[in-house]
Amino acid sequence: MRFGLKAGAALAAALTCLVMGPVRAEAAPDRTAIVNEVCAQGGQGLPQAADQLLTELPSATPDDVSWANRVVGAFSHRQLLCSADGHGYIANGAAGLDAATLVPAKLPDDAAAPFLSLRARIVLERMEAALALVSPVAPERKLAALDTLQQHNDSVPMALVTMAIAQSHDADVTRALRRFGVLQGLHAPDTAQRVAAIRDLSQDTTSDTLGQLRSLRDDPSYASDPSVAAALDAGIAHVQLWVRVGNVLALLYNGLSAGSILFMSAIGLAVIFGLMGVINLAQGELIMIGAYTAYCVQQVVRAVAPAYISLYPILAIPLVFLVTAAIGIIIEATVIRHLYRRPLMTLLATWGISLLLINLVRVGFGPQNLKFITPSYLTGGVSVVGDFFVTWNHLAAIIFAVLAFLGTLALLRLTSLGLFIRGVTQNRDMAGCIGVSARTIDMLAFGFGAGLAGLAGLAVAPIYNVNPSMGTDFIIDSFMVVVLGGVGSLVGTAIAAFGIGLVNVGIEPFYGAVAAKVIALLLIIAIIQWRPEGLIAIKGRR
Amino acid sequence: MPLLKRRSLLAGAAATLAAPAIIRPAWAADTVKIGCLFSSSGTMANLEGRLNYITQMAADEINASGGVLGRQIEVVTTNPNSDWPTYAQMGRQLLQEQKVAALFGCWTSVARKSVLPVVEQNDGLLFYPLHFEGDENSKNVVYLNSPPASSVLPAVDYLMSGDGVSAKRFFMLGTDYVWPRTINKILKGYWKSKGIPESAWQEQYVPFGFSNFQSMVNQIRSFASQGGGQPIVVLTVVGSSIADFLREYSNQGIQPTDLPVLGLDMVEADLEGLNTASLVGNLNCWAYLQNAPGPRNQKFLADWASYVQKSGAPYSPHVAIDPMVSTYDGVHIWANAAKKAGSFDVPEVRAAFAGLEFPDPSGYTLKMTAANNYVARGVFIGSINANQGFDVLWQSKGTPTPVPYSQYS
Repeated sequence: MRFGLKAGAALAAALTCLVMGPVRAEAAPDRTAIVNEVCAQGGQGLPQAADQLLTELPSATPDDVSWANRVVGAFSHRQLLCSADGHGYIANGAAGLDAATLVPAKLPDDAAAPFLSLRARIVLERMEAALALVSPVAPERKLAALDTLQQHNDSVPMALVTMAIAQSHDADVTRALRRFGVLQGLHAPDTAQRVAAIRDLSQDTTSDTLGQLRSLRDDPSYASDPSVAAALDAGIAHVQLWVRVGNVLALLYNGLSAGSILFMSAIGLAVIFGLMGVINLAQGELIMIGAYTAYCVQQVVRAVAPAYISLYPILAIPLVFLVTAAIGIIIEATVIRHLYRRPLMTLLATWGISLLLINLVRVGFGPQNLKFITPSYLTGGVSVVGDFFVTWNHLAAIIFAVLAFLGTLALLRLTSLGLFIRGVTQNRDMAGCIGVSARTIDMLAFGFGAGLAGLAGLAVAPIYNVNPSMGTDFIIDSFMVVVLGGVGSLVGTAIAAFGIGLVNVGIEPFYGAVAAKVIALLLIIAIIQWRPEGLIAIKGRR
Repeated sequence: MPLLKRRSLLAGAAATLAAPAIIRPAWAADTVKIGCLFSSSGTMANLEGRLNYITQMAADEINASGGVLGRQIEVVTTNPNSDWPTYAQMGRQLLQEQKVAALFGCWTSVARKSVLPVVEQNDGLLFYPLHFEGDENSKNVVYLNSPPASSVLPAVDYLMSGDGVSAKRFFMLGTDYVWPRTINKILKGYWKSKGIPESAWQEQYVPFGFSNFQSMVNQIRSFASQGGGQPIVVLTVVGSSIADFLREYSNQGIQPTDLPVLGLDMVEADLEGLNTASLVGNLNCWAYLQNAPGPRNQKFLADWASYVQKSGAPYSPHVAIDPMVSTYDGVHIWANAAKKAGSFDVPEVRAAFAGLEFPDPSGYTLKMTAANNYVARGVFIGSINANQGFDVLWQSKGTPTPVPYSQYS
């Protein structure tokens, strides 16, 4: 992304030969010239005009700055119109303003907004940021603007930074501006200034910085000075270390989040297949129904209380669990109950149920992907160290998986229902003898497993596409996880899920996603050969 | 939607055979069947499903103006379930049992490749509405959309030019099958011919229906930060993976102004349900964009909106995508060719393609020549806007002559 610097240099060169023209008496922005430049080639002159404005900005009055803000804002909202003869106007409702003077003017019929190409966007983004530094805006805006400029390594005239420091009333902004000014010193002739700039730059430990520092090392003017070269080597070593740390963390995080999705899709099956021994091929569809229930909750919240729409995932947690658990109980009571002694029949019957559910949902909702409103706290993320970037939606999935794991474990180990479930699955007849109603427990356990699958659907809704056939993507993976972890062991399921997740994301960068899947499956086959009972085998009479 | 009504058709066929020619039911002589091979389930459902409806809409249009050669068009739809061998199986059924006069179908190239032997054995006619990798020229397939030389290469050229972003480095991310692999092979050949070193690009493939793009996006970020010029992503993942990729891309905070994505299979429908504010500026290239200027497009969009209302199709009335228009064009081209030939027989219809023209919603006039079954289309480069659509960034002056075999592959 050194594009900014290079383009800046190239444009500055272009500027000298293109825009200079007659020497102006005062250096204040020549509004008419800038607007004409933009409109001269239907918006193509924007980079030159932007450079001209940038060089002239330090001598601008507050009035000039607000004008520049107005024009740049109009351009990025496509309200700046150019007529065929190269005059600029700003659309102001139905009426128009002359872009150079801001006095009302009649819009010519041929006035059209110049197209916002990618290159124009880059220029505008940079212009808006540069203008924000010298405009009376909130400190946060100024800090954000500095971030933007820094990210793109944009060169801003030093005079502009000085002007911004003079205008700043906020300590944070002043400090950030100073730092930015120091960074601009990377190419300064003074050695001390360069060393300070390198030190400062090395604080930002990303691979972007690393690339930037490495390109400086190739610069002959840098290598010739020993103190600068030493600072550079130290900086590179420092950044390299943190980038490596960041890469390891990113690998762990990605593995954890892939594993948490696997775990969530498998946890319901761990109860139904692991504890009860029912081969439930409709498990994926229970996940799908969970996601669709979440969608219904979202639609209802949107209709009833649009102000609280961002809270719908939390409201959906109990509802999704209850709805899918109810559907699970209905399936158990009507179909599976009659087939406990015939596993092959269960397999076929649940497969039939899965097809039935897919097509019911397809008829009811249509085959297209559902539109979920992703609450603002689940979009975006934060950069932690190096290139390690934590995305909120994956973090939420991890936390959700951990809570589901702890909750299920607590229910099975600490409650009397859990005791009964374990009792019935270990020795059905004996449990019956001491007064446990095996039928009721079967029903409740199946419903619990189905509810957990529903929660998985809620967890994957902001990450995956939600459509009627989404369940089929999960079924094989979840059986794989349960079998690998050891049938009947919740802890084994968790270990297997995170193991498979880690192996997958660990291999992906080297051999690609297709090979990663193949290698993961080969590993699983090998482990099952070695431990047919799975990673954690439960001893007991089954 | 008239689905495969095997029972009633068998009954009808039996009645037709049993009755003397004079008293055959009127409908038997009055209709001609065309078949659709588009999935309404599986990973391609959200995209291909629309094409069933648009075929019906085009057929309705032709029927309203008197049909073809005095016959009404009857559309027979199927659901190959995004499963490639099923496309071939259903194609064979449509040709042999339903006796359809033409097939409209397939989105992915792997589906087309599996139907290809079927239409060649039965001398059928498949109208294929997607832009694709080229390197194929069958007399039984009408290639309604553009080969790479007139779609992908102009778009990549644009990004490499000063008007674009002066792209110097390329990350190719695709689904693992014939289209992305061939496109990327052609692109690599093209870059080699321009003297770009092999170190300037990197290639990765994911399986069909892949959805967890975390580590892929991480890789893209580290590729981008290696330096050496402006990087871009050439995205050839298909189906539901496109939206999954875009979501991860924007969640990791990548700006299109830093690292633009050229999504070769990305259409308006992929953006439904996404917040596109952070994706504004990413690009695609097609022979039609919903924002194509001109009254013909306005009419097409209005027709589609009212058709959705009328038929209750489970798709947005406000979204139109290139393959929809291409399929629509295909039905009209087939009808015009049949009218010109005065017959529904495939050899005669095929002979009638030469010199055929059709002014389509994109604003261009489509042309076919005697040289091959390719249709000459215009080229659009689109840029994502904040309203889940694409603005027209660039469009070609005319319709470049399609070149089936690329010189770079």
